Amino acid sequence: MNRRNLLTTLVSLTAALAAAPSAQAEFKPTRPLELVVHSGPGGGNDVMGRALIAAIEEAKLSPVRIQISNKVGGGGATAASYIADKKGDPNVIGIFTSVWITNPLVQQEASVTMRDLTPISLMVLEPALVAVRADSPYKSMAELMDAAKANPGKMKQSGGSPLARDALVRTVLQAKTGGRWAFISFPSGGERISALLGGHVDMMVIEPQEAGELMRSGKLRALAQVADARLPEFKEIPTLKEAGFDVPNPPQPRGVVGPPGMAPDVLAYYVDLIARAGKSAGWQKFLREGLLEEKLLAPKETAEFLAATETQMRGILSESGVKLVR
Amino acid sequence: MDVLSGLAHGFAVAFEPANLMWCLVGCFLGTVVGILPGLGPAATIAMLLPMTYGMSPTAGIIMLTGIYYGAKYGGSTTSILLNMPGESSSVVTCIDGYQMARKGRAGAALGIAAIASFIAGSFGIVALSLMAPPIAEFALSFSSPEYFALMALGLALVVLLAGDSLVKGLIALLLGLWLTSIGTDLFTSQSRFTFGQSSLLSGLDFMVVAIGVFALSEVLNSIADKEETQLLPVPKGMRNLLPSWEELKACRFAFVNGSVVGFIIGILPGAGASIASFISYGIERAFSRHPEKFGTGVPEGVAAPEGANNADTGGALIPLLTLGIPGGGTTAILLSALVLWGVKPGPLMMQESPDVFWGLVASLYIGNVMLLILNLPMVPLFAQILRIPVYILHPLILGVSVIGAYSVAGRIFDVVMLAGFGALGYAMSRLKFPVAPLVLGFVLGDAMERALRQSLMMSQGELGILFSRPISAVMLACAVAVLFLPLLPRFRALKVAAG
Repeated sequence: MNRRNLLTTLVSLTAALAAAPSAQAEFKPTRPLELVVHSGPGGGNDVMGRALIAAIEEAKLSPVRIQISNKVGGGGATAASYIADKKGDPNVIGIFTSVWITNPLVQQEASVTMRDLTPISLMVLEPALVAVRADSPYKSMAELMDAAKANPGKMKQSGGSPLARDALVRTVLQAKTGGRWAFISFPSGGERISALLGGHVDMMVIEPQEAGELMRSGKLRALAQVADARLPEFKEIPTLKEAGFDVPNPPQPRGVVGPPGMAPDVLAYYVDLIARAGKSAGWQKFLREGLLEEKLLAPKETAEFLAATETQMRGILSESGVKLVR
Repeated sequence: MDVLSGLAHGFAVAFEPANLMWCLVGCFLGTVVGILPGLGPAATIAMLLPMTYGMSPTAGIIMLTGIYYGAKYGGSTTSILLNMPGESSSVVTCIDGYQMARKGRAGAALGIAAIASFIAGSFGIVALSLMAPPIAEFALSFSSPEYFALMALGLALVVLLAGDSLVKGLIALLLGLWLTSIGTDLFTSQSRFTFGQSSLLSGLDFMVVAIGVFALSEVLNSIADKEETQLLPVPKGMRNLLPSWEELKACRFAFVNGSVVGFIIGILPGAGASIASFISYGIERAFSRHPEKFGTGVPEGVAAPEGANNADTGGALIPLLTLGIPGGGTTAILLSALVLWGVKPGPLMMQESPDVFWGLVASLYIGNVMLLILNLPMVPLFAQILRIPVYILHPLILGVSVIGAYSVAGRIFDVVMLAGFGALGYAMSRLKFPVAPLVLGFVLGDAMERALRQSLMMSQGELGILFSRPISAVMLACAVAVLFLPLLPRFRALKVAAG
């Protein structure tokens, strides 16, 4: 996102704040806040949560301490139901990601959906790259897709769970091109990249931060970006659309969410806190180092974004043959 | 920069007073974290990460890595003294380590664990400094079929662990394989055996299972046997608290085995220190002259796994530093720490950040010596823990177990599971079922199932992929040999009888 977009977002956030009824008593936390994440220490959401807290503390934006709380399990289900149980507690917020949207769609046990919680703010979108080994014969996205079409079922992609974004990118590309290739799940990013580097699979949808060094040292080649616009760090790589594949880009969002029915003054407090944290030097550094795309949205827009994403995921998942339960 | 000048430069960096101090801090914290069950190095490093923002990247990575390998040193302590694994890679140490303690050789077991850790850890570091890039290339040639063969070899070695009754061992193994399949299936995202419980979606935690069947069931056993006042004998005199020359000599092969097996499995991103320690233990037993004594407290049963989980460190750092690929949870956090400091691990790191790379490698040598110095004098002190009367020690073990299980994920659910597995372990030992195969099946089963399904997806369902690749074919042949090895004497006996 460029600076002007950020500015408009901030203006709209401020406007939303100004529009809030001023008669209400203002909420200000007096007890330490609990920031719930669904991954264990070191997982994606945990790293983001700790970076957010560090940025807030560095800029002295919070009068109280913020503690990370790892509610691991069920691909987000444990953390989501923990927050859902904290209805009326103004001291608990959490970080959501795309599995909070997709998991309830396919797992009966994951009963808390994003609609049950109070969206506070979308914060980042993670871009992705379609990558092959540097010595792969495929020099462009078109060559790769042609090869997949010419050898149905023969080519392989390494990735994570069938609900993850890399699997969804495969689904939309297969639907668009008519090609078919295998999707092989590995539990950790390290194993996925090893499979690609070792030549055991042909392609991978990889996060820019994972790929950066391997591209710079000439071990990997990126053929396309899964993003609406080219990232500043990868100016020479076309987006999927520019490469001739006009498919929806399945997003990988991360943002902040609160318990059900959050009081307006509490919500206003957190919206303000996140907006300020988003501008802080520490957070901007985290975004730069992680090659993340900033996307600050107000609560209403965040809710709309979540609803739209759920609809999109529903379509892509049922197209890829995953059984939906909700 | 070649290896020697790189190392010389690295030692100059690592010997700077501040870096030396952070190395000591990391090793000490790691030892403490290793001793405490539940709280692992990954969680500790993640919690301390914000504190290191202000430090130089070299000092920061030296300290955080110190926690990583220090924990592997400390993990054996509670395994040996209380039958309670302090860390997932020290689970297998419970089997013989605790039995040694029961025989009054707790100090010896602790000493052997420290010495094996030092020897194998140093081997891993030397291998890391001399040949990191070519070894990283070798690790990449391993794919799912090879992982499957490796796990199959591990399971075959497990069958040898079965003890007196092969049938009971196999039942325990199958139970472990079933327990590990609980949770969300990676390939389809469907839940298996969760009984509608969202808490079971991510499966059972290995530490909860291990603490339950080892530590908790031991407490129950002890109560049932009406063991009073003092749990275990603690010999008097310094000399009796350290390993004897005979015990060290018995571990000669185990030191080598642990070093090599731990290092090789360490470089594979899909395996990890727990699997390394189990396979090294299995190999030790398979090649032993007295395999029947394993499980009754033999020193090699401590030296092999403790060596392997420390040699694993040098191996695991190779893909991390030369390719930017983390093999496990802890190395993943080390990677995100390096990225946060602006250091980029990958093929270019050795040239672009020689201070960090060689400084870290040199600090590993120093840290290993520090850990040996920290740990050996502590041995007699730790051994005194067993003098605590049972009526104090047992509630203590229960308390630490509960806290350990809770701290895995911060859920009461895991404490309930802990109680369940304690009861299961107790029932199994009363009915003379060995628990080791259950735990081993639990660790290996998950990785093995995954590797098999990945292989078959790669080959479009052709089983041939498992046998047509040389490394995997050789390992599968070894697995078959291991399975039939115990039958050989019987065949001979049959022939003699017939002839």
